Amino acid sequence: MKEALSPGKSPVANHFTNRILQSGQGYIDAALRNRGQRVAFIVAALICFFLSVAFNVVEWVSGAPWHAAVNFAYQLVAITGFVLVWFLLSYFLKQRPASPLKTFWTTLLVALLSAGVIGLMIGITTAENVEGNAAVLGFEYDTGVPLTFATVVKMHVVSSLRVLLAFYLLLRFQDLVLFKRTKQSQRNWYLMLISMGVFSLLFILKDPAEDPGIVQYIGLTLVVILMILNAFRVSWIVFLSFRAKAAGVGFSILLILLLLASLSPDGILPAHFMYIRHASYPLEQFTLAALTFGLLYCVTSFLFLIFHLPTTGDFRRKTGEITAMYSLTNLVNQAFDPDKLHLTITKTPVDTGTAQMAWLAIADERSGSLRPQVVAAWKTPTEDIETMVDVAALYEELAARREPVVLDEAPADRRIRKKPGDPIGTILMTPLITRDRLLGGLFVAKDVVQGFEEDDVESISVYAAQAAIALDNARLFEEQLERERLSRELDIAREVQQRLLPHDLPKMEGLAVAASSIPAHEVGGDYYDFLELDEERLAFIVADVSGKGTSAAFYMAELQGIFRSTTRMAPSPTDFLEQANLALSSTLERHVFVSVIYGVIDVRKGELTLARAGHCPAILISREGAGRLIRPQGLGLGLDRGGRFRDVLEEEHIPLQPGDTVTVYTDGVVESRNSEGTEYGYERLLEALKALRKKEASALHEALLADLHDYLGRTEYDDDMTLVVLKWDGTKNHTKRSAT
Amino acid sequence: MGRHEKPHETIGNMSNFSVGFRAEAHIRILDLKGELDAHTVSELEAALQKCREDKNHHIIVNGEHLQYISSAGLGVFMAYIEEMREAGGDIKIAGLQANVFNIFDLLGFPLLFDIVEAEEEAIRKFDADRNEKNDS
Repeated sequence: MKEALSPGKSPVANHFTNRILQSGQGYIDAALRNRGQRVAFIVAALICFFLSVAFNVVEWVSGAPWHAAVNFAYQLVAITGFVLVWFLLSYFLKQRPASPLKTFWTTLLVALLSAGVIGLMIGITTAENVEGNAAVLGFEYDTGVPLTFATVVKMHVVSSLRVLLAFYLLLRFQDLVLFKRTKQSQRNWYLMLISMGVFSLLFILKDPAEDPGIVQYIGLTLVVILMILNAFRVSWIVFLSFRAKAAGVGFSILLILLLLASLSPDGILPAHFMYIRHASYPLEQFTLAALTFGLLYCVTSFLFLIFHLPTTGDFRRKTGEITAMYSLTNLVNQAFDPDKLHLTITKTPVDTGTAQMAWLAIADERSGSLRPQVVAAWKTPTEDIETMVDVAALYEELAARREPVVLDEAPADRRIRKKPGDPIGTILMTPLITRDRLLGGLFVAKDVVQGFEEDDVESISVYAAQAAIALDNARLFEEQLERERLSRELDIAREVQQRLLPHDLPKMEGLAVAASSIPAHEVGGDYYDFLELDEERLAFIVADVSGKGTSAAFYMAELQGIFRSTTRMAPSPTDFLEQANLALSSTLERHVFVSVIYGVIDVRKGELTLARAGHCPAILISREGAGRLIRPQGLGLGLDRGGRFRDVLEEEHIPLQPGDTVTVYTDGVVESRNSEGTEYGYERLLEALKALRKKEASALHEALLADLHDYLGRTEYDDDMTLVVLKWDGTKNHTKRSAT
Repeated sequence: MGRHEKPHETIGNMSNFSVGFRAEAHIRILDLKGELDAHTVSELEAALQKCREDKNHHIIVNGEHLQYISSAGLGVFMAYIEEMREAGGDIKIAGLQANVFNIFDLLGFPLLFDIVEAEEEAIRKFDADRNEKNDS
């Protein structure tokens, strides 16, 4: 059938034919959406109608036919009027789509009505003889001039009614013929309409008294071929239920009978076509052709309905099976490879013939972007999708509506950046939802407009629900894998962290040191260390790398390297922190920083020098119970990679009294929360330290941890907790020294 | 979740943290609510990313309802500030509660970021910046 229609035509030519065929109607439909334009169309059609009536009235009054040129103009006006009516009717019917059954019974009704009115009109006023002239149906035999005013009215009413019936029939049957349309079928249909129009126009200058010429016969042949092609487009039948089919058989029989009766010259409406012929020869031809097509289509529909009646149940079952099969088997086994799963989800609707192109868009909150990503596409490269459509805008609508959305006229949608040749005519988008969460959207497209029927939407919805579950499973699986990978990573990180921490505490005269770092269940980046600079001076550091896991452990290791190597060369805490900032800045990721507190205790002088890089303040408690936070200004390492860091960094020199306790710690201590969600906090820490100040360093350390533990009521911590206690007992040192 | 009225679009209602979007002239205002830590930080990241994608570089982060921020949360600000400033914008932080401000303050954020008490002040500052730019 395909070859019969376009033998040897190039694809480009085919493409352009399609464009022209589709778009003429499309543009006019778009224009008619405007109410003013609609009114203008109606007014213009009415003007045409009354002009043609006036033409015939003048003819009747004068009793002589018009000049041939005027007659030609009249034909044009009459035809233009009906062309306008065609577009108007087309627009109005498109607003009110009908099911196949409704199409049949409404057509039947319209045909009955029109036949009834015509029958009445013909019956009431019969042909009249005027002044003894031979007249047929009220027209002068030789010239065709109407003999009475009644004849003028009759010819126009009859032809209007017939043409309206023809239009209604064609426009309603159009939806049936174009059901599950393909480019090919759509083109055949429009070609038939056009050829019918052209064929009719061939009669515009023809004298009805003469026989049609060879040109008309060739036109007729083409029209008949196209009619037969289109008459076999009856695929809507298979989707009907048994009852609907049975009803369809009845309606089609009635319609066949009615059309046959009114078309045949000896039928119920004898010679009414003569009125139309006198009104306009082309219109008569068009009406005849249209009603003939209607008859033909009813016959094929009737036959197919009969043939398909017994197989209805089988067909239903089969489609059910196919839907279920293609949803389940394909998806279940692919949960382990997301890419493959994405591709299968997009492929299946195309493979089963529901769509010609498909893509899958996923907006993953976890990936840090709310913008949907096209993760797979079928029958087009994935990266082309973004150039063809505004994925984000479409996805937004889908996310808002959370139900399948059909864009019947995709090329007219502003979100479709269609270029000529892009195969997007209709888009059906379906949300993928499981457990109330929108995971993504499945988009399927066809190259024709209005390409998806109700059952397509339904089967894609069923499929989308399955796909969503498969996607969700894949996601859960991936998360499980990720968790396991993370827990292995954490094990490694924890081990690294423990190795980086000092094994032995420094032993200096007059200074007692106790320290610990308790890792949280998710390893953070706490680090502490000591280095004896010389006999008298001890450097200590407590740091907290932001972030967790192996990367935090890596930065800790780097910090340890810096501490061990730079401390001896840096004469003061500010020098050290500057060096550390410089060294770390080159490797730290942009969102990672390290808070550090670094101090040097001179045990002989009894002096503490301290600098702070964004870290929790140190706490100094005297033997008498006075406590203060030591908080010199300073930015965290990595926050500023230029001179700012150095400019704002301060250093504090604090003379120590014998019995003074210096406590340094990480935020894990003060930010730890109990079951009520209240933080341990600075106040509590200060009070606890004051209460425990008389204890030895290690006992104090232990008691403080116990207090913290009691407060929290559990042994698992959200963050690493590092606690270092330094107690300077100058007197002992002093007495020892003075004794020797 | 949903205890307070939320007249504007929000994302991330799965956890005890949420980001709300508002717009004030050319300024995008992000309302943070709840606890911002390593688990919830991706939501703020997504919000800032959206601002970036929309070419919105004038951002006010309103922390009136922010209860807690961890170092991971602070890191997000670090990750975006440079870019926003290079694009001629800024991230200003407004309305922080005392305990949350303290966390910002410990790290020295007030030295790097424009942290103000009220949102209106941040808006004024943005406007002043713009006028200055227009004058020069």
